[in-house]
Amino acid sequence: MAMRWLSRLAAADAVPVFPVVGENGLAAAENLFLDPRLRPVPSPRHARVLLVLGETGQTLNRQLRRLHDQLSHPRATLWCDAVPDPDFGRATESSDTADAVVEAYRSMFAGAMDTEPDIHPNEPPNEWRGKGTNGQGGDGMMGGTPYGRPMAMTDDDLRDGLQLDAYSATFGPFLPAFPPGLALDITLQGDSIQAVSVSHPPFRQETDHSRTGSLRNLARLLRVLGVPALAARFIAAARKLEDGGTIDLDVLARAFDWSGAMHIIPSDLGSFGGEGRDVRSRVRAWLNIARGRQEPAPLGQPALSFVDLVKGLEWYEAVIVLNSFDNNALRNLCPVENTDDQTEEAPQ
Amino acid sequence: MSMLACVILLLLLIFGTLFAAILDTAIPAWIAGQSGANPLTTPFRRCAQFLAVQRLTTERPDMLNWLLAPAAYLILAGIGLGVVPLSEGLVFIDLQTGLVLWGACEALTVVVVFLHGWSANAPFPLIGAYRYVAIGLPAMLVSMFVVIGVALPAQSLSVSAAVEAQRGLWNIVKQPLGLPLFMLLGLSLTLRGPFDYADPFDLAAGTSAEDSGPLRASWRFARLAMLVSFSTMAATLFLGGHHGPGLPGPLWLALKAAGVMTILVALGHVIARTTPSRMLTLLWVLFLPLSFLDLIIAGVESLP
Repeated sequence: MAMRWLSRLAAADAVPVFPVVGENGLAAAENLFLDPRLRPVPSPRHARVLLVLGETGQTLNRQLRRLHDQLSHPRATLWCDAVPDPDFGRATESSDTADAVVEAYRSMFAGAMDTEPDIHPNEPPNEWRGKGTNGQGGDGMMGGTPYGRPMAMTDDDLRDGLQLDAYSATFGPFLPAFPPGLALDITLQGDSIQAVSVSHPPFRQETDHSRTGSLRNLARLLRVLGVPALAARFIAAARKLEDGGTIDLDVLARAFDWSGAMHIIPSDLGSFGGEGRDVRSRVRAWLNIARGRQEPAPLGQPALSFVDLVKGLEWYEAVIVLNSFDNNALRNLCPVENTDDQTEEAPQ
Repeated sequence: MSMLACVILLLLLIFGTLFAAILDTAIPAWIAGQSGANPLTTPFRRCAQFLAVQRLTTERPDMLNWLLAPAAYLILAGIGLGVVPLSEGLVFIDLQTGLVLWGACEALTVVVVFLHGWSANAPFPLIGAYRYVAIGLPAMLVSMFVVIGVALPAQSLSVSAAVEAQRGLWNIVKQPLGLPLFMLLGLSLTLRGPFDYADPFDLAAGTSAEDSGPLRASWRFARLAMLVSFSTMAATLFLGGHHGPGLPGPLWLALKAAGVMTILVALGHVIARTTPSRMLTLLWVLFLPLSFLDLIIAGVESLP
């Protein structure tokens, strides 16, 4: 009785959705979450519905299947503008995605739809490779690659030469803070990036250098900067402009100023060659384009590679830098150094 | 008397947490210009949603600490609230060193948040955990000087004495830097907006990234309870506590705490978060000297 009451109450909540954005799916995903019945969540553990928007390709299928198993039960998967994996989920039309998500969620809690079973057995994805009883494989209690995943091991810090724990893993390709599709092999010491290479570039998205495209870029950055409600307002404004409506961009620009977003980004962060090419200048350009005060200009040939841009930064700084480029510009900056789809660890 | 204080305290905690959850729904929806979700029912629905799903664990987690962290966070919120005088002579934990106990709750919150991130045995929660420690400690240091500033004119470490010292004029007027600086601690203690270095979006929810089911509900509840505790303490130390005309003392306190809470939630949703290294610089180079200045102002005020 109590469980039935709890389920009924839970079913009336906004649906926690973990979006997996594929090719050309980003704008659709952002528009979808303007619907108050849906709620994007940053971790698959928090989601009840896995929503795939756009093709993610065969290369990332293994990571997607593992991501599916990270959702707790009850769970469902919906595929929009993408061919569903035969083992989980079902396709839905892009015109009624929100309704389909809500219906799937409520059906699960009403008992009308079964939760999706695990694809993989609940055991370590790779075989045991540790040396000791506690999983260590290097010196003492640290290092090595037990179960195929590297364990932290002391190494020289880039900044001061102190011996700190270095931890290597693949981050992405479905990490919400990263541009969709981007997967990076990163070695972290603390949250400082010591080494980085690109294992999968961001997916192509529809090119949009217009005012609405700039508003969307600003929204993505604002979400990273911890003001998602303001980001939603920017997305809503972009949507309204795309639908032929009018908005007061000065009000939005003021809200952006009051958030302090421009001031809290360190100057020269993410600078690639020359003055005025850092994160702040890119953000300022988006603001000017959105307000019709500047024409969109190509990014230009970077003097640095993407790896040089991110290496040595703290994690949060690196995420800000990644989100200071539009997806296609970032894609051009990302030479893929590791295309081995047998890479063992892909957390999200 | 202490039984009455205990009942009022529990009511304050329960209804305060509910109010905080409503604010946390209503304010971002208002900023985003969204309508649809009812802020009055959403907290109940969200809680049911958390409780109705399976709890997943990670590989080899520190399960004991994972379970204990939200409980300890909630207990710290409760203890912090316990030293607050609800009205004249009505206080649950009547200590001569109540401000020291509050300081201990602040310090232990840093430990609890770290444990929460540590125990999942996963990279993002752990990064969130030590990032929080790096920011939480200096933020706490700022608050310590501010709290000493409150104790100086009261010539006591008792929270009741601090309230009594504001009978004529509230500390927000006598020490104008105190409340804004103390609010920074509030954002840090409750992991909010510009000080949410523990559970941020860039770390896929950081220390909470691996939480699911009831564990997630308990962490969320504890965070909101700490918001209630902090807001009540801020109202007590800077807004005259239970003093006010006409209404009963506990009601005045609740109203003032609700005001502080609303400002905190709003700040958390409109102010962007800077990088940890920049925030560290701000804390040490700007906010800490400002807290010294606040202490000097309090010292001058305390001169006979």
